[in-house]
Amino acid sequence: MESGNPLLDDYVLGLTGAKRPRVCFLPSASGDADHYIVRFYRAFPADRCEASHISLFRREQGPEDLREHLLSQDLIYVGGGSVVSLLGVWRAHGIDEILREAWESGVILCGLSAGSLCWFSEAVTGFHGAPKRVEGLGLLPFSNCVHYEPRSSRRLAYHEFLREGMAPGYAAEDGAALHFTGTELTRVIASRSEARGYRLDPMGERVVEMRIATTYLGDPEASASIPLPEALSTAVAA
Amino acid sequence: MAAPRRILALGGHEFSSRPPDRAVCELILKLATERAGGRPKICILPTASGDTSDLIAGFYSAFGERPCDPSDLSLFRLGRRPMALRDHLLAQDLVYVGGGSLVNLLAVWDAHEIGAILSLAWRQGIVLAGQSAGAMCWFEAGITKSSGKPLAAAGLGLLEGSLCVHYNNEPERRAAYLEAVGDGMPGGYGLDDYAGLIWEGTSAPSAVTARRGARAYRVVAREGEASEAPIPARFLPAPAPAALREDIAEYRRLTSMRKRAGWLG
Repeated sequence: MESGNPLLDDYVLGLTGAKRPRVCFLPSASGDADHYIVRFYRAFPADRCEASHISLFRREQGPEDLREHLLSQDLIYVGGGSVVSLLGVWRAHGIDEILREAWESGVILCGLSAGSLCWFSEAVTGFHGAPKRVEGLGLLPFSNCVHYEPRSSRRLAYHEFLREGMAPGYAAEDGAALHFTGTELTRVIASRSEARGYRLDPMGERVVEMRIATTYLGDPEASASIPLPEALSTAVAA
Repeated sequence: MAAPRRILALGGHEFSSRPPDRAVCELILKLATERAGGRPKICILPTASGDTSDLIAGFYSAFGERPCDPSDLSLFRLGRRPMALRDHLLAQDLVYVGGGSLVNLLAVWDAHEIGAILSLAWRQGIVLAGQSAGAMCWFEAGITKSSGKPLAAAGLGLLEGSLCVHYNNEPERRAAYLEAVGDGMPGGYGLDDYAGLIWEGTSAPSAVTARRGARAYRVVAREGEASEAPIPARFLPAPAPAALREDIAEYRRLTSMRKRAGWLG
């Protein structure tokens, strides 16, 4: 749902292998903001997929049986916003359990920003004030940090959290996406040529930050079968 | 001396310029002004609606031109507009909670630890107010349609017992409430749209109504059956509408003339 850049949307639709995949949008992290729902339907038009959304703030509209609806999807797309509010609302409606079930039954789960953080056991949220640690759904047994820019306060905070015992994990710059199959990282793809993903491991008092080779989806040579390349570089941050 | 703890629970209203809505806003302003002893600070928490722009705009249109300092604390918009939650809320004279999903309201508040702040605010004498989900949240329980069908859900429990809102407008909600109370849910109150209850300290609440016929009910269980008794209410007259600025009034006259003449769609 990147403005003017459909590369990652095309990629996730392609993963479903369906001609007209069923895609459900969960905008909970934004408080179900109308403008965001409209943007979703624009990015996922009816000629490409069967799109729907679930608004947990307006349950009188939309599907009555959330579990049935979510389990019947090919792809569930989680929007950005506040991951803390997202998880609170999901737990109140039992969505956390349903999404685990959907994942186990092969429904593709994806999302950006808060919609990425939520799948991991721990994450760095910088939505409000100083970056904080937050516990996610734990489908992926790693930590996660998004909007991972070189001089951002999130990056510094993430390294600090790792030194304090946060699980090793993955970070993504804007435009980069981490694609997991099961709990294995399959590849890192990007909608912008310069965007990268990173692997982070605490090593005693240090943090090893490894840049992961990333496939730019706008490159005509890029094909869906490229395996995850070797790490290109390693940096040790004090 | 401890400050009196005050809560205003409203069965349902909007922020329109219609007389009963103006009467409700006048009462909110009056309670806030009493607490402030001067120009009050009034903050809306629109959490239960997902912080919708419509609700926030309605609140500012109702209070923006009145003698008070209105603000909104939108938990879903903190990313773009950071605020110190505790400091901001405890600096208010009145905190107004908007309607929406009671279940989501409590879940999001819980995630941001807002409940403890509001409880402290209440004990410090800051007036707590709200309509619909924003009224039920102060009680031990309410009847919410957060999952579609009317069901019981927990509130913060600052006030004992339960509350059911939109009593006259939503017969299925009222029926679900009476059944729940008959089955052992703590009794409490039913509120029609435009009826309200005011708690001051620990005494029994007093009822107000901004529309003729809108009522507050005491609901108690007797031998497994819920029974309702209306509570005598004080009528709130609507204040005169705020005078329109001359240029706005002229613009509106012109627009309606054009519409009649078919110049505008």
